[in-house]
Amino acid sequence: MKFLPYIVKNIMRHKLRNVFTVLSIAVSLFLVTILYAYVSVQDELAAKSVQYNRVVVQHAQGLTFPVPLAYVDRVRSMPGVKAAVPLSWFGGKYKDDKIPFAQFATDPQTIMSVFTEYTVPPEQLSAWQNDRTGCIVGEKIARKRGWKVGDKIPLQGDIYPINLELTIDGIYDGPETADKEMLWYHYDYFDELLKKNRPIMAGNAGTIFVKVDSADRLSSMMRDIDDRFASSDAPVRSMTEQAFQQMFTQMLGNIRAYILNVSLAVVFSLVCVAGNAMAMSLRERTREVAVLKAIGFSRTTVLSLMLSEAMLVAMLGGALGVFGAKTLFDWTDLTVSGIPGFSTFYVPWSTIGLGLAVSAAVGLTAGAIPAWRAAQVSVVNGLRKVV
Amino acid sequence: MVPLKYNVRSLGARWVGSLMTVLGTALVVWASTLAFGLVDGLNHTLAISGDPLDVICMRQGATSETNSVVDEAVARQVATLDRIATDSSGNPLWSPELVVIVNSPRRADDTKANVILRGVTPAARQLRPGFQIVEGVDAMPGVRQAIASRTMAKRFKNAGLGEDIDVLGNKFRVVGIFDAGQSATDSEVWTDLEVLAQASHRTAFLSSIQFRATDEAARDQLIDRISTDEQFALKAMTEQDYFAEQAAAGDAIKIIGYFIAIVLLVGAMFAVANTMFGAVASRAREIGTLRAIGFSRRTILVSFLLESLLLCLAGGLLGILGTLPLNGLSTGTANWSTFSELTFSFRFGAAVLIQALGLVVIMGLLGGLFPAIRATRLKIVDALREI
Repeated sequence: MKFLPYIVKNIMRHKLRNVFTVLSIAVSLFLVTILYAYVSVQDELAAKSVQYNRVVVQHAQGLTFPVPLAYVDRVRSMPGVKAAVPLSWFGGKYKDDKIPFAQFATDPQTIMSVFTEYTVPPEQLSAWQNDRTGCIVGEKIARKRGWKVGDKIPLQGDIYPINLELTIDGIYDGPETADKEMLWYHYDYFDELLKKNRPIMAGNAGTIFVKVDSADRLSSMMRDIDDRFASSDAPVRSMTEQAFQQMFTQMLGNIRAYILNVSLAVVFSLVCVAGNAMAMSLRERTREVAVLKAIGFSRTTVLSLMLSEAMLVAMLGGALGVFGAKTLFDWTDLTVSGIPGFSTFYVPWSTIGLGLAVSAAVGLTAGAIPAWRAAQVSVVNGLRKVV
Repeated sequence: MVPLKYNVRSLGARWVGSLMTVLGTALVVWASTLAFGLVDGLNHTLAISGDPLDVICMRQGATSETNSVVDEAVARQVATLDRIATDSSGNPLWSPELVVIVNSPRRADDTKANVILRGVTPAARQLRPGFQIVEGVDAMPGVRQAIASRTMAKRFKNAGLGEDIDVLGNKFRVVGIFDAGQSATDSEVWTDLEVLAQASHRTAFLSSIQFRATDEAARDQLIDRISTDEQFALKAMTEQDYFAEQAAAGDAIKIIGYFIAIVLLVGAMFAVANTMFGAVASRAREIGTLRAIGFSRRTILVSFLLESLLLCLAGGLLGILGTLPLNGLSTGTANWSTFSELTFSFRFGAAVLIQALGLVVIMGLLGGLFPAIRATRLKIVDALREI
C-alpha cells in the first residue's frame, strides 16, 4: 500500500497516454457489459421463474396450433393444480406500431393467482374483473407510452380478423424480472367477437399457464397433463415456464455464440492495446527500474509495482465502462415489448463483477510481458541505457 | 512529400508495438465486419425473394402468410381474373398455398425453431425464381412426401433426405432436396397442398394466393382490383413489397450490428492515437531533422496521418481476411412476422467491404490526427536537442 503514491505518480506522468488507454478499455468494456448482460438476463429470468412453480401447456405441434378452451377447466380439476388460466396471444396492431406489443386474452378472475408475484391495486383489479372490455397493462409499458387508467386502447387484429376496443382499468407491477410490458384483457370478450366473425377460430386458449402447488410436483404434473390429452384431437406438450422462455431465445438462433465471439475478440484486442501502452511506459523507464534495483528493491517488488500499475489503469477503464453501462440502462429503457428475448433488460450485478474481473485480467496479461522484461534487466545494463 | 518508405520502415523499427496495434485493430475490424456481413446476408435474402411481376394475396389486415386465412372459394375466383400470366401449356401461373408452422429440432444443438411447411400445387415451383430440385426427386401430389431446401436439410433434424417430418402424427417423408438461390424459399419445406390441409385439419382454407401478372401495368391493376373489391376481402401486394416489409425482422440485428461497430471504432481510435503519440514522442529528433532539411509542417502532418492509416489498413485487411472463412456460412434467426426461422448466409460482398474499409479509414485518420498535429507543433530547435 505504501507504494500506491509511486504507482499513481507514474501513471500521472503520461496523462494523455493513460487517459487514452483508460478510455479505450472503458468503451470496449461498456460494449462487452451490454452484450454479456443480455445473456445473463436471459439466464436470470429463466432461473428466477423456477421458484413460481408454473407450467405452460401448448399444443404438441407448437404455438400456432390451437389448444381447446375446454382444456383449461380440465386442467384446473387435476390434483396439484392451484390455478390455471388461458393466455392467448392477440398480436394486434396499435395505431402506427410496426411490431405488436404483448397482448393476451386471459381470465381476470384467476390470473393473479397464477402470476402471484405480480401486483395490482385491489380496487383496480375488481374494476377490471367487472368490465368486459377492460384490460390491465404493465407499469413499464404504461410509463413508456404515457397511458393512464381510463385510456382507450384500440387494437386491430392481425392473426384474428377482429378489432378490440379496450379500456385500461388498472396497472400491474412486479419484481425486476417480471415482464411489465404486457396487456391482459378478458378472454370472454375476445372469444365472443370471434364467434361472431370467424367461429372456426373461436375457443382457442392459445397456451394454458398452470400454477402447481409444489416444486416437487412439477415434473409429474407435466407428465400427467400431457398424458391426459395424449389421445385427443389436440395433444399438448407442457413445459416449465423456464423452458417456455428458453424456447423463444432459442428461436432467435445462436446469439450466445455470436456474443461470446465478439466479446472474446474485444478482450483480446484490449490485451494488445493495453499491453502496447504499458510497454511504451516501461521502456521509457528502464533506467529508473535499474535505479530501483540498485538501491535494493527486489525483483519481485519491481515486478509487482509494474503489474499493479497496469492493473490499476485497466481496472479504472473497466469500472468506467461497466458502471457507465449500468447507469445508462438504469436511466434509459431500450426494451421492446412483444419481441421475445427483448422485453426485459437490465445490467445484473453478476455481469458487473465479471466485467471488473475481465478488466483486471486484461491489466495483468497486458502488463505481464513488459513488467517481466523490466524486472529482468540487469542493473548495469539498465543504468547504461540511454533511451 | 516524405517518402512512404520512411513510414513503413518506422513502423518496422518499432515492430512489437506496431504488431500489437495491428492485431488490436484487426480484431475490432473482424468483429464489426462480422456484424456487417450478417446484416448484408439477411438483406440479400429478403431482397432477392420474389419476381417483380409476382403478387401475393392475403386476408385483409394480416401482415404475414402465417396469420392469414383465405377461403378456397375466394382463391379460385382470383384465378379467373384477366391478365394473369400462363405457363407453356396455358394454365394460369396461380398458386394457392397453405403454410403450417412445425416446431423442429436443429441438427447442430437440438434447440428448436419453427419451420415453415408449405403446401403447394405444381404451379408454385414456377413462381419461385431459381427453384430447382438438386437431389432426390420432386414430391408427388396426393401422397405424404416433402421436399426440403438444401439449407433446411442441413440445418434441421427430420428435414434431411429420407427423414420424416411429423404433422399431428402424420409423417411426411422427405424425398427430394431443392435449391431456391438463397431466397426466403430456402427457409422452407414443401409438400402437396391437399395432403397438408388434411393432415393439419385445415381443409377449405388457404394462407395465401400467389400469381404472376402478364406485365407491370397488369400487376398494378390486379393489385388495385383485388385490394378494393370487398367480395374478396383480400390484401394484394407485390412479393417484393411483402419481403421488404419483413426486412423489419432484420432491424434488431442491424441496430445491434452498427452499435457494436461504432462503439468498437471509438475504442480502437484511442488505441491508435496512443500508438501514434508514442511514435511521435520517440521520433522527435527525426521530425526536427526533417523540418530542418526543409519539409513543411503540412508534409509532416500528412506523413504521420499516412503512417497511422497504414497501421490501421494492415490491421483492417487482416480483420477482413479473417471473416472470409465465414463467407457463405448459413445461419438463421427468428422472423417474428412469420413466427418462423429465416435462414440466410453471412455475406461479405462489396458493400460490406466498403463499410469495413470506411471504418478503417475513420479509425486511422481520427486516431492519428492529434498525434500528427503534435508532430507539426514541435519546435525545430527543441526537437533536435532531444536525445
